[in-house]
Amino acid sequence: MRRGFNPSLLPPHPSQGNPMSIEIKNINKRFGDFTALDNLNLDIASGELLALLGPSGCGKTTLLRIIAGLETPDQGQILFHGEDATDTHVRERQVGFVFQHYALFRHMTVFENVAFGLRVRPKKTRPTEAVIKKKVHDLLGLVQLDWLADRYPAQLSGGQRQRIALARALAVEPRVLLLDEPFGALDTKVRKELRRWLRRLHDEMHITSVFVTHDQEEALEVADRVVVMNKGKIEQIGTPEQVYDTPETPFVYQFLGDVNLFHSRVHEGWAEIGGARIEAPNSPNETTATVYVRPHEIDLSRDASDSAIAGVITHIRLLGATVRLEVEVAGHEAVEVELTRERYQDGAWRVGDPVWLNPREARVYTAG
Amino acid sequence: MAFKQHSVLPGFNLALGYTLLYLSIIVLLPLSALVFKSSHLDLAGFWHAVAEPRVVASYKLTFVASALAASINLVAGLLIAWVLVRYPFPGKRFIDALVDLPFALPTAVAGIALATIYAPNGWIGQYFEPFGIKIAFTPIGVVIALTFITLPFVVRTVQPVLQELEKELEEAAASLGATRLQVFQRVILPTLLPALLTGFALAFARAIGEYGSVIFIAGNMPYVSEITPLMIISKLEQYDYLGATAIAVVMLGVSFLLLFVINGLQWWSAKRLGRRR
Repeated sequence: MRRGFNPSLLPPHPSQGNPMSIEIKNINKRFGDFTALDNLNLDIASGELLALLGPSGCGKTTLLRIIAGLETPDQGQILFHGEDATDTHVRERQVGFVFQHYALFRHMTVFENVAFGLRVRPKKTRPTEAVIKKKVHDLLGLVQLDWLADRYPAQLSGGQRQRIALARALAVEPRVLLLDEPFGALDTKVRKELRRWLRRLHDEMHITSVFVTHDQEEALEVADRVVVMNKGKIEQIGTPEQVYDTPETPFVYQFLGDVNLFHSRVHEGWAEIGGARIEAPNSPNETTATVYVRPHEIDLSRDASDSAIAGVITHIRLLGATVRLEVEVAGHEAVEVELTRERYQDGAWRVGDPVWLNPREARVYTAG
Repeated sequence: MAFKQHSVLPGFNLALGYTLLYLSIIVLLPLSALVFKSSHLDLAGFWHAVAEPRVVASYKLTFVASALAASINLVAGLLIAWVLVRYPFPGKRFIDALVDLPFALPTAVAGIALATIYAPNGWIGQYFEPFGIKIAFTPIGVVIALTFITLPFVVRTVQPVLQELEKELEEAAASLGATRLQVFQRVILPTLLPALLTGFALAFARAIGEYGSVIFIAGNMPYVSEITPLMIISKLEQYDYLGATAIAVVMLGVSFLLLFVINGLQWWSAKRLGRRR
């Protein structure tokens, strides 16, 4: 894939200087007995790139489809730039929608796929053939696939198809761009390239965009703000740094990365796990608590210590730049520790070595 | 063999050999016997047999009525398949089973039933009689019988394709501003085209060869409502075997040509959908 991004290829886009905010108010949606969205409120700022992140079944795709008008909410309102769009048909909503499995029209060439949205316009507003041709080629240039104009979708790779799908969505000059797991069907390498490319594209076009993903890495890398969802509700909204560094709920903490769980009790502002004491200043005294520690935020030591967790290394797995160790701790399930390759080599760790674990960072969540 | 490609599936030679043998015995041998038999006629005799005005009238009826019946079922079959796939309704399975009935029924039974219903004093025929419209014992009756007999083809070829059709294609088209009609014309119909053509070809081929259900409702009036298969039978009854085979060869040739063209169209449209063979 050619990665050079040339802003001069961009067609003038009406959304530039035409801000488009979205307000979602008290949205409820049920499918039979299943509550997909539970009284959900969300404001999307004009021109931002927002990620809806959550496990499958959390309602993120349903929310995206409601914004698009492909699904109707049972209750609640959607406002597009202050105007009620709840009952506006998807046809008139002027949203660009990109599907996980591309949904390209197989019987049309790449050119015709991109031109589709222009050709189906009513006669009065339909551009002339010359204008369509120029516009389609501009867009194909934008997604760097102009040379594929005469091919059929079946002849393209997954990454190429998704870029064509994006060009097709942009052709109708949408006010909002909605992407449903856009990179979900692609292999890891292409996925990484495409999401960087999407970020750059957004930086140039500033079109209000919402994308759905279950991949935290993708959300953290690409989005301006991340909305973490679980069971039809929003757990936390914030910048990637905010949701990663200060997760508000155990769910967010667990969902945004690997985690070790320790069960403990809070005693006078401290939670103790196998000797190590973790500060828990705001927790009520004598309550059960769960302590969360990320695998890469644990220090290993050979020196016995009363204020560390004693254990024995049982497994060592080399994962490229990092090394993951499994440490058996008495009265506890195995603890995962992640080290950089360097620190692993400095420590010369072996399976069977006794170690003492020192959590550098930890979070205490008390029950209830 | 130069075109043999290496494959993990064993038995290419065996499978191909068996296919060719099977097709030869079941299809090619009887057909070539037909052509061979007709070659006993000299050219003038052949021409005399196949270009007789009464026979020519029967060609017209057979091919036009068959094309009409297949066309009617192209539309009706698509509609039935659409309803069966897209809408949930009580009795859906029953209707679904009903579609295959014309296959199961002995054709003569179908013919007699249709003739009874569409006769001037029949259940349906009586309402057309006052307007001077006769259905049974006219070419209209032939078309109706052929429509009945070829109903399942388009339904059964289109149904699975429609079932597989991604909902997202329609949603994508709608989000791009297409109306329902535009979605149908530009997205759904082109995707269904190969299946529709296959259904049409099968229905058409079946209609051309149909005999049992037609002769009861057709009335079999010379120059008006005689179908070609009937001409062949009547030649046989007069011990004019050569004449019968000559007509059969003409039918064979025309049918093959038409099916060849339809298959070509189908291959072309399937290729455009990226299902290369």
